[in-house]
Amino acid sequence: MKHCLPVTAAFALLVWLGCQSINDPTDGVRVTQMRPDERGFVAGLGIESQDLVVVAEKMARGVLGVEHIANAKGKPNIVLVPVINKTRFNIDKDIFLTRIRVALNANARGRVNFLARNRIDALEQERNLKLGGQVTGGEKVQANEFKGADYILTGTLESISSRGKTGASDYILYTFQLLDPRTSDIIWEGFHEIKKQGKDDVTYQ
Amino acid sequence: MKPGALPIIALLALLALLPACQTPQVQRAPEISADLVAEGRKLIAAAPAKDKNLWAYQVALLAMKQGRYAEAQELFGKHLPPAGALLRGGASGQQSRSLFQPEGVKVFYGEPHERTMAWLYRGVLHWMDGEADNARACFRTAQLFDLSEDSAHQSDWILLGYLDGLITSKLGGDGADALKRARAHAGSRALPEYDRAANVMVVLQYGFGPVKKSGGNHGERLAWAGGHSTVQAAVVRNGTKAVRAPVLDDVSFQASTRGLRRMDTVLAQKAGVKKVADVVGDVGVVPGLILSQPAGTRDAGLVLLGAGLTGKAVGGSVEPRADTRTWNNLPQHLAFAALRLPAGRQRLTVDFYDADGQLLSDLSRTLELDVKPQGDTVVFVADK
Repeated sequence: MKHCLPVTAAFALLVWLGCQSINDPTDGVRVTQMRPDERGFVAGLGIESQDLVVVAEKMARGVLGVEHIANAKGKPNIVLVPVINKTRFNIDKDIFLTRIRVALNANARGRVNFLARNRIDALEQERNLKLGGQVTGGEKVQANEFKGADYILTGTLESISSRGKTGASDYILYTFQLLDPRTSDIIWEGFHEIKKQGKDDVTYQ
Repeated sequence: MKPGALPIIALLALLALLPACQTPQVQRAPEISADLVAEGRKLIAAAPAKDKNLWAYQVALLAMKQGRYAEAQELFGKHLPPAGALLRGGASGQQSRSLFQPEGVKVFYGEPHERTMAWLYRGVLHWMDGEADNARACFRTAQLFDLSEDSAHQSDWILLGYLDGLITSKLGGDGADALKRARAHAGSRALPEYDRAANVMVVLQYGFGPVKKSGGNHGERLAWAGGHSTVQAAVVRNGTKAVRAPVLDDVSFQASTRGLRRMDTVLAQKAGVKKVADVVGDVGVVPGLILSQPAGTRDAGLVLLGAGLTGKAVGGSVEPRADTRTWNNLPQHLAFAALRLPAGRQRLTVDFYDADGQLLSDLSRTLELDVKPQGDTVVFVADK
């Protein structure tokens, strides 16, 4: 009977192991507030907020340093054209230019003027309503007051991606250009590059 | 009969009648609407956390088949990890590797062919929304998820490579390399040159895809029951224009060429422990019982019995079963057709053909679509 105790203990251990909860695969819901330029603990290989912030700030500084902007007489009008995404990451393309515009507006102190060309449909509709007398303010509208762009700001996102047994890696190249639509000159070009690599959990390899 | 027996019998009879007269408790069947996507959403909500993605993928594809593309995009957007995400196992991943839990306790993200298909569908949905470059990004991610031990089978989906090049070409780039790769994977299947002026893109899928099953002595191996498709080609017609869409990709082939997973090694180890424990149990219990009877061998017999019972208990508790949860409404084949159509309301007829070239008339359908004045109009067609 002296062996009863170890045998019972072994059974109890097995029963305890078998009864471990498996229903909650998460570690609980915890929210951590972070700065957008901080690398989060769920960081992956893709384009993330910290990249967006770094790239936007860098490009905004670059644009403001361009002679054509810094020494311009009056406020140059800039139109933002959505970036071309050549990476393997599906992204909200407007967010880059929105972030750059915000950074430019914050740092330019009124030296540049942005045109809301991406809202042209709504703007035309409003103008037509005014001209048609359906809403007030038509008397102030001239034939065409929409401004043409002095410069176009756009960019391209490209990547080299690989994935294998040892993990995955992504190199992303962000290039932005300020174009002169009159001459097609590239007035300025800036770039930023980021390489990331990592591995899936062994469970998913 | 004894004098006191009659009341007792009567009482017993009454007691027997009483339950019979009780009103049966009627459990109402759950109300199920004809809206399968809405029902699917209920299943997603009710599913345990580890299975929610699986249900979401299935419901998203169902939504696509019903033309409810915004809902499909929302479901994939919510449940498919971002393209750059690294899949973390977390607590459930650890449990799935432990001896006493099966692999299926981990959060479902699917095997490579399932992840690839999810990204293919996301790409199609982006393309429908007019985001051709985001669609191409999804197709590239999908291709990258196609892992295989054999490099010849890695990233070898024909349609994904073809569409990558087609979109690149339509966006003004050079799609020649992608087309060359797609043709190399296609082998004898002829892939047409890119028509940059084509504006109606028809992505087709045929049949039922592969199903996972467990193999090995203890269910530790992941095996595949191949899918099936009677349809082997379709012809998309608009008036006198007709474009043939033969099979490009075989989803069962893609699933079966995945090769050994890291998890297969873990499961093999679990199966090994189970086998040893079962043997110890078999060897220990009966001799232990016999030896524990005589006083002289009782101690040794009890030790043997204890070891045997422990072995039986361990063997019975070890869970080497592979994760056989399957995205069960995937197709067997993928195909594609591109047409040039004028903008405005157009009618497309899709006819499906079997391997002998016989028309499967019960599957034929007519689609009404609004061709966009600019950009691509993308149509998704499933035979089932």
